[in-house]
Amino acid sequence: MSIEELGTPVVLLANPGFVRDAQSAASNKGMPVIRILPLNVACESTVPTDIEAGTAEAMPSILESLTKPLTAQEKSPRWSTEKPLRIAFKGNYEEVNRFLYRSGWTDGLPIVPPTEEAVAEMMTGTDLPADHVVAKVIPRQGKATIEKIAVNAVMAGALPTHMPVLIAAIESFADHKTRFDTFEVSTGSWAPFFAINGPIRDDIHINYGSGALSPGDIANAAIGRAVGLIVRNIGGARKGIEDMGVIGNPAKYTLVIGENEEGSPWEPLHVERGFQKDENTLTVFFPNSYMQAVPTETSAEGIAQAMQNMNPWSMSCFIVIPSHAKILSDAGWTKEKLKEFILKKVESPIGAYLGREDEDEAASEDILSQPPAAVDTDTLLVVVAGGPGAWTGLLRSVGGIENDFVTKKIKLPRNWDKLVKKYKNVVPVYAGY
Amino acid sequence: MHRFCSLWVLGMSVILVAALQAPSGMLFALDPSAIQYEVLSPWAEADPIPLKGISSRLDNLSGKKIGLFANYKRASLPIAASLQKRLRSMYPDSQVSIYHSAQWNVTEIETENREKFTEWAKGNDAVILLVGD
Repeated sequence: MSIEELGTPVVLLANPGFVRDAQSAASNKGMPVIRILPLNVACESTVPTDIEAGTAEAMPSILESLTKPLTAQEKSPRWSTEKPLRIAFKGNYEEVNRFLYRSGWTDGLPIVPPTEEAVAEMMTGTDLPADHVVAKVIPRQGKATIEKIAVNAVMAGALPTHMPVLIAAIESFADHKTRFDTFEVSTGSWAPFFAINGPIRDDIHINYGSGALSPGDIANAAIGRAVGLIVRNIGGARKGIEDMGVIGNPAKYTLVIGENEEGSPWEPLHVERGFQKDENTLTVFFPNSYMQAVPTETSAEGIAQAMQNMNPWSMSCFIVIPSHAKILSDAGWTKEKLKEFILKKVESPIGAYLGREDEDEAASEDILSQPPAAVDTDTLLVVVAGGPGAWTGLLRSVGGIENDFVTKKIKLPRNWDKLVKKYKNVVPVYAGY
Repeated sequence: MHRFCSLWVLGMSVILVAALQAPSGMLFALDPSAIQYEVLSPWAEADPIPLKGISSRLDNLSGKKIGLFANYKRASLPIAASLQKRLRSMYPDSQVSIYHSAQWNVTEIETENREKFTEWAKGNDAVILLVGD
């Protein structure tokens, strides 16, 4: 687009599966009529015969695209500026769900109908007015007003006490350091991971114990789900059009955890990142894989060795259970020492990515093999959470995109205590059997 | 008669309690499929952005400077090389150059190569961008 703006005619070649994505990206940047041609070459192809066949086939269309006179629409494009309706639909529960699903506004699961009353109740979770714009969410630059956040939160089954966390989440996306612009839509299927710190964890029952990342807790489940709906409906990241995750990622439903600050021998994550212990925060980054391992030795060295063997990439987060954290701490391992040890012998990401051992050769041949930033301890987080047992978790962000962890303060409304009291008892009580 | 009255009072009480407890819009709607929900749209408004047209096309490529912009994707440079070969063969009097951008997910004009890139782009009569994944 920047080349077109310089007055030079351009044609873009894209894999057929990415033509709609390219058109959408161009539209969102104000040039909906840029000429885009499908090129029948496999993504990331390294096969010369396939490339030759693809370029031979595309050649006539390329020549035509660079010489065919412009249409009136291409010279001066006009775009629909229709304002979306505030009331989307009226119907019974099933009809509402079918309508929202067919509109592409759900994540596939049934939603809670976002009625005027439910949305108004959701907005009691903030002091900000309904029309306050928290951020414009890319790629569509949709306005994340308090009301729109609340609508999506209701749909996700969230409680009003989750609103402060959702607002902080959207604020965090607006911070370019997260590289939300790339991760939310990129082929690597990255998903936002939120670590919650501060007293709010217990106010809203964020799970940081057994099965913290498993389904079953309304806060962990609904906050992540609401964020996913916000990305889809406010940001306009539609699967297969803008969100081009190749395999996809179940973590896009939700990936939210609290830190077990009381069970940790180390300073909490948010204090490590410059906040006060009694402040509430959310720390976000975008992993795209999750693995777990059991150390073969339960000594501090054994636990650390197991973590090193898990081979974190650029931007990763370990979930360390409290019992392991205690063993490590008792043996004199600080978080910093642990990170240094883990990163000291991390397998070369270059070799890992390409399956090669010669880093220099790989680096000189292919930009995909650029060394990631994970050579200093700032690229690694350690969060203490999880239940009794012996497993360690690792969230890895595989890819070479420069980004950073971002921590945002969660701001509570004036009526917080009253609100917490109202929803405090929304917890599962399991029947005995 | 007395028994009938008692049943009537009891029945009306049940209906009254149900009505009082039902959320608005649900009066007497005991069949869940009959309950109507008026729902707000989750789809956000976006400010209209000024739209730009594209540049005038060339009459033909003969004798022209054609640029091939290859992004960081693995296939882009081999594709550029293939197209360069074909264009040179079809238009021997044209100049075909390749610009390689090594940066991941960053627009070249936003990098430190901005001047070099701009000069290259301006110096061409047409550009082919490579490659969308």
